[in-house]
Amino acid sequence: MKQATTEVLLPDLGEIEDALVVGWLRRVGDVVKEGDDLVEVETEKTTFVVPAPASGRLTHIAAAEGKRVQVGGRLGDITRE
Amino acid sequence: MHTLCIEGRVPDVLLTVEHDPVFTRGRTARATEYLVPADEVDRAAIPVVDVERGGDMTYHGPGQLVAYPIVDLRRHGRDVKQYVRALEEAAIATLRTYGVDANRRPGFPGVWVREGKIASIGIYVKGWVTRHGLALNVDADSAHLGMIHPCGLPVKAVSLCAIAARPVALSEVEDRFAADLADLLGWRLERRTLADLEGRVCV
Repeated sequence: MKQATTEVLLPDLGEIEDALVVGWLRRVGDVVKEGDDLVEVETEKTTFVVPAPASGRLTHIAAAEGKRVQVGGRLGDITRE
Repeated sequence: MHTLCIEGRVPDVLLTVEHDPVFTRGRTARATEYLVPADEVDRAAIPVVDVERGGDMTYHGPGQLVAYPIVDLRRHGRDVKQYVRALEEAAIATLRTYGVDANRRPGFPGVWVREGKIASIGIYVKGWVTRHGLALNVDADSAHLGMIHPCGLPVKAVSLCAIAARPVALSEVEDRFAADLADLLGWRLERRTLADLEGRVCV
């Protein structure tokens, strides 16, 4: 079985270096569709909902709630089985 | 409205409202701490509501301009910080017309005057479209404002009328703020009632 893993990265939000993970909306093991609301991050008094970059199963959370992540940094993994 | 904006079916919208007294807690709010005795808080009977926007606890109530812009940031450079700055600068421009000198403080979103914090900001962005917004104290109940630290910071929340030492109509501040934000975001303003908008988006 071929598996393709897509990393969920913190998107470029403009003039911002990093953001705080405030909550995952899906759990490891959940099946997600590309574009689904996946994880909320906060910066500059703004909650930003990061969408799933691909369809598949959320197989790993690299940055749990309370972690600070740089723009482009890894939040988790989505694997297509 | 937010969903319609994500789908590109409506232009940017600025909703302005005046709330009944309420404390709202953002996503990163810490344990609620009141600055006045518990019985005073109980007597005021102000509800506390958890909301999706960023930031800590804040107060909303009569005499406060609450602006909820629904803005598609895909049309405005996909920059969250620049958007927050536009809201701050619009409030600063509005306050300037009343002779009030206000400014931004790097690292502390919101609008500040010498006496304290005059406007608070909390945003929620989904699909690059914004919800929530800015609250500017025009003539808010100072007893209510004084019940908490605005946004959890050890500062005082103040109102435009107190600083300018004269009465100011909320509707007038609302119009000025809309015009100032329109300038900053490159909008051409059209005034609509909610009924107008519903008529437009349901076709």
